[in-house]
Amino acid sequence: MTTLSKQHTPAGRRYVMRTFGFMAAYVAICVAMMTTGLFDSVIGQPVGWVLAAAVAAPVVGQIWATLALMRESDEFVRMVTAKQFIIASGLAMAAATFWGFGESFAGAPHLPAWLIYPLFWAAFGLAAPFIRSSN
Amino acid sequence: MKNKLKLLRAERNWTQEELGQALGVSRQAVNALETEKHDPSLDLAYRIAALFERPVEDIFENPHG
Repeated sequence: MTTLSKQHTPAGRRYVMRTFGFMAAYVAICVAMMTTGLFDSVIGQPVGWVLAAAVAAPVVGQIWATLALMRESDEFVRMVTAKQFIIASGLAMAAATFWGFGESFAGAPHLPAWLIYPLFWAAFGLAAPFIRSSN
Repeated sequence: MKNKLKLLRAERNWTQEELGQALGVSRQAVNALETEKHDPSLDLAYRIAALFERPVEDIFENPHG
């Protein structure tokens, strides 16, 4: 998100604002879920799917924000952003696959699937500073 | 791709920001071109050539030639 100094262009500034907005929405729901009993009444109820959709919506929004950044940027920023997103997504999927099979076959403790979003950002944060070429 | 972009820019006393504005790209894109971290599209290569009033092959070294 911060590599390539995306905040230095108007498109980059919009991207950073949108990203923080979507991230804040996701974090707010997760923190409320973990620290309060706010959502206890929906457990096992059909309305629980509404909550699931609500926390997934910022993730969809993040994809839109990234595509908007690519659409509004020059070819170099577009290509580097795509590389960063692909590598971060791939790392997150690989880690989730690894852990999922670890749960099934190696006795690893269960982790909820919604952690994939922070896992993606962790992978992005680790990988993005090293992706500075479009080649 | 090796190129003379930095040299041509220096001859005109332009900053990377100014060249980027003239080309319609970011300063980061100009820096990436100058440091060979980005191979320009055909469209951008022709825009650069038009700006400096030189043929593309005078600015960018043909990697296949």
